[in-house]
Amino acid sequence: MTTRRTEYPVGEGAAGNQAGPGFLVPGSAVGDGRYRLLAEFGLDERVNAHLWRAQDNQLRRDVGLTLLVGDPANATAAGAARKMLERTMHAARITHPGTSRVLDVLGPGNGIAPNEGLLGIVVADWSQGTDLVDVIAEHPLPPSTAARLLEPLAAAVELAHHSGMVLGIDHPQRIRVTPDGLLRLSFPGPLPEATLQDDVRGLGAILYLLLTGKWPLRSAPGLPHAPLAPDGQVVPPRALFPYIPYELSSAAVRSLTDDATGGIRTSSGLLRVLERAKLNEDATQSISAIQDDTEDEDDDGALWTTKRPHNDRSKRRKLAIGVTALAVATVGVLAWLGMQLISFFGDDSPGAGGPTVVATAPGNAENNPKPPTPGQPIQAAGVQVYNVKGTPDSPRRANRAVDGDPATSWKTDKYQQPFPALKPGVGLMASFAEPVPFAEVVIDSPSSGTVVEIRTAPSEKPGLDETKVIGRATLQPGQTRLQLDSAEPTQHLLIWITTLADGNVSEITEVGFLRAAQ
Amino acid sequence: MDGTATVAKDEPAGGSTPSLAKASGSMAIATLVSRITGFGWKLVMTWLIGINVTTDSFTIANTLPNIIFELLLGGVLASIVVPLLVRSQDDPDGGNEYTSRLLTVGMTGLAIGTVIAVAAAPLFTTIYVDGTTGKANPDLVTAFAYLLLPEILFYGLFALLSAILQAKHVFGPTAWAPVVNNVVILATLVAFWLMPGEISLDPVRMGDPKLLVLGLGTTLGIVVQAAVLVPALRRSGFRFRWTWGIDARLREFGGLALWILGYVGISQIGMVITQRVLTAAAVGGVSIYSNAWLLFQLPYGVIGVSLLTAILPRMSKAAAVGDTQRLVDDLSTGSRLSAVMLVPISAVLTITGAALCVALFGVGEGGIEQSQRLGHALAFSAFGLLPYALVMLQLRVFYAMKDARTPTLIMVVMTAVKVPLLYMCGALVRPDQVVIAVLLVNSLTFVVGAVLGQMWLWVRLGNLHSKKVVKVIAVCVLASGVGAAAAWGLSTVALPTVDSVTTAWVNLAVQGPVACVVAFGVLVALKVPELKPATSRITRLVRRG
Repeated sequence: MTTRRTEYPVGEGAAGNQAGPGFLVPGSAVGDGRYRLLAEFGLDERVNAHLWRAQDNQLRRDVGLTLLVGDPANATAAGAARKMLERTMHAARITHPGTSRVLDVLGPGNGIAPNEGLLGIVVADWSQGTDLVDVIAEHPLPPSTAARLLEPLAAAVELAHHSGMVLGIDHPQRIRVTPDGLLRLSFPGPLPEATLQDDVRGLGAILYLLLTGKWPLRSAPGLPHAPLAPDGQVVPPRALFPYIPYELSSAAVRSLTDDATGGIRTSSGLLRVLERAKLNEDATQSISAIQDDTEDEDDDGALWTTKRPHNDRSKRRKLAIGVTALAVATVGVLAWLGMQLISFFGDDSPGAGGPTVVATAPGNAENNPKPPTPGQPIQAAGVQVYNVKGTPDSPRRANRAVDGDPATSWKTDKYQQPFPALKPGVGLMASFAEPVPFAEVVIDSPSSGTVVEIRTAPSEKPGLDETKVIGRATLQPGQTRLQLDSAEPTQHLLIWITTLADGNVSEITEVGFLRAAQ
Repeated sequence: MDGTATVAKDEPAGGSTPSLAKASGSMAIATLVSRITGFGWKLVMTWLIGINVTTDSFTIANTLPNIIFELLLGGVLASIVVPLLVRSQDDPDGGNEYTSRLLTVGMTGLAIGTVIAVAAAPLFTTIYVDGTTGKANPDLVTAFAYLLLPEILFYGLFALLSAILQAKHVFGPTAWAPVVNNVVILATLVAFWLMPGEISLDPVRMGDPKLLVLGLGTTLGIVVQAAVLVPALRRSGFRFRWTWGIDARLREFGGLALWILGYVGISQIGMVITQRVLTAAAVGGVSIYSNAWLLFQLPYGVIGVSLLTAILPRMSKAAAVGDTQRLVDDLSTGSRLSAVMLVPISAVLTITGAALCVALFGVGEGGIEQSQRLGHALAFSAFGLLPYALVMLQLRVFYAMKDARTPTLIMVVMTAVKVPLLYMCGALVRPDQVVIAVLLVNSLTFVVGAVLGQMWLWVRLGNLHSKKVVKVIAVCVLASGVGAAAAWGLSTVALPTVDSVTTAWVNLAVQGPVACVVAFGVLVALKVPELKPATSRITRLVRRG
């Protein structure tokens, strides 16, 4: 926004302080923490006064703050600020719809902490509505509307001047347009040297601005300066827009000039012109009815909404929201696609969803005419590696075969030679809470070719010859379902690997037990 | 007061001091070492314990103190207390009173918070762990949480002490302290491994010696990390006195602090849902997630951070004086440099993810299959590297403009996108692959965040040269695509499938360089201008290291 941030004294004494008003950002607190800044509305460069909308943290209401920025060690600046605050305090007695009520005036040691980098704060009622600058940004106002808008402000100046006080209205950003169509001085705080004449000149300048959209005084941020005639004076508004009535045009110019002859020196003089221009309203409208009609509609829109039609930022914001929505939608679709891809990717991982192979019970028909029908699955209370010779194979990971997670598994060691070279075999002993009649064991394994026997066992660590074979199968990749030929209840069940798969190693991903149906 | 501090006091506030510039070089090395050792102990943990319920539970419990510390103090400390601390050095007493007050009030508050947090450990478990599917072990998480939550106090002490030391321009001890912590944890892991027996999972017993060793050892690491700063603080001339009360200056920042807290809080919502989805899906998910995230962050940590440290001071200075043009230039340069460096790395990680993870994690208890799952998770999320770096860069820009609100609002949108997608993972994908999908969603969320951040910076700052950035990203994606394709083609023709640690190393050793060289070769061939400063920076880094 402004680049005028290096104008502050940075000599001795300034080092410990804030170097510039970089601390004046939305969200920061001023006035010893009482006011939180919301948005910046302008900058009066002449006195380095920053105009902010802020919230009163204690009373929870919005206020307009005029923040006088500067270094307290700089005597000139501090003195000027003190003067401004005093003048504001005097002007605070005026109550008029044309000026915001001054709520408080803060100075260093009186509401402002010494290290805040502020020389003073004028706290005023927040006036709803629109920035003056925004109202005229698109096009100048019709003369009648201009007169109607300006009148209450001129009346406020008139009232102040009666009591010999200066309002300090000669800066466009200090003025706002209220929802009911009045100009109001929203950021009060007259300059230290401002005179009554300055107020009148300010009124003239605002009238000029309303009529032409250009600012005739010292350039203000964000506003084009009024064109100058060869004599150094600003050209009359009528020269820019011929439809402007001569009286208003000349009143604007005459208020601006300093010379005593022909200049308007008092606000009451200007006020009279404004009243007459308002009376002429009907006549003006009947003359150029079509033009005025359309324009009236337009500025209705501009005056009675807080929207900023010409604001680049709001347009950008809309675009940003659009792009964001688009990005979110795209990401949603991408996520869905990605998950499909992940599912597709994972299908070739081993031990998952492989074919189920059924191995029938080994017993012959004489011993057991009919294998038991499988019923409910049952969870083993514990699983241990069962080993009869040498060291047990990965004993700590035995329970991975029954943890229900197909991603984890138990593996035998990798042997140099097939069984029974080193050991007769190796197995997993599953123990149950009580003796159970079993019908089936389901083994999920990627190691095809592994030969497995299911044996009942009398205890957790029996000799191999104490156990009894009730099922046998050669495992296929994926799930192999082993039907058992005994429904005798047993508390311990041994899954005994007699032949290892290729490479003399076997892996068991998951073992499930199904009890016999009663 | 030692020499550096006096010199620093003569400098105008806010200006960079020579001691800072000198310190940043050795700090970069310390940061690198601490990241590597930090990664090291995670790696060792996988080798010695595996990717299972125990590491899952430990990982969740170990993030809890960090989270609570962040919520209680972390963000506020970095953004408010530290700047004030720096300012307080200009107080007549050299900031002694402010510092004492900060320590007194901060540590008392944290002590109370820690006691409450430890008492509420079971509550945290129910928040972070979804035990309804029986895949997680909430009891074990709670047991670890009791042992690990006291870390909050020492995280806080470490953060406060290092902030104080930094304000006094003492950087070395704070940068090296995390390395000490990592060494202690490594020792703990070895002790854990040497102890006989197993952690009993059902039932979980609090007195279990292995559980106690792992839990208390980890906490001890943080205690030591804080304790090593005490001598440095004494040397700096600071004397602690009990000082109560709140400094008036703290009030200025009320609003800012709330937004930053909001940022942390909202990001935690995403984290909680992530953990719940992971714990409900399959065993090992949390460990894989945290390891993949660590691997993901490693390239950013080395390249991204070194870029940031070079650009960030310039950016914050530009923001402070309101020089939008320079700020935008730096942001654009940072974005483009990140793209040139990180997009090819993403491609390499995507192609070699599985090989890399099997090679690193497939040792000991780690297991080939779990490591492959980790690798796939990394491969599917690696594209998020650049968006992540951009989000971090934009975050710094917002903070440099003293705007804490927009990042929080961006985080709200990111979380709003993330949460439904996370639940979609749980519903669409097989349980053991949920972690892959979760990491994918994570990266996609950063894409949303990066787009959002760029748009809102554009709203605030105007033209950001986005077109230029997008063009560079497009070229990088093209080049990296070519590199990845070359590596993939090579692997289908000439390389063995990754099924053991050895084949993984072979794959990694061939594919990684091929993808890298081809991708950067294409970039050079396309004459991408951003490559020049990047390569020179790397050569400078290499020379320095």
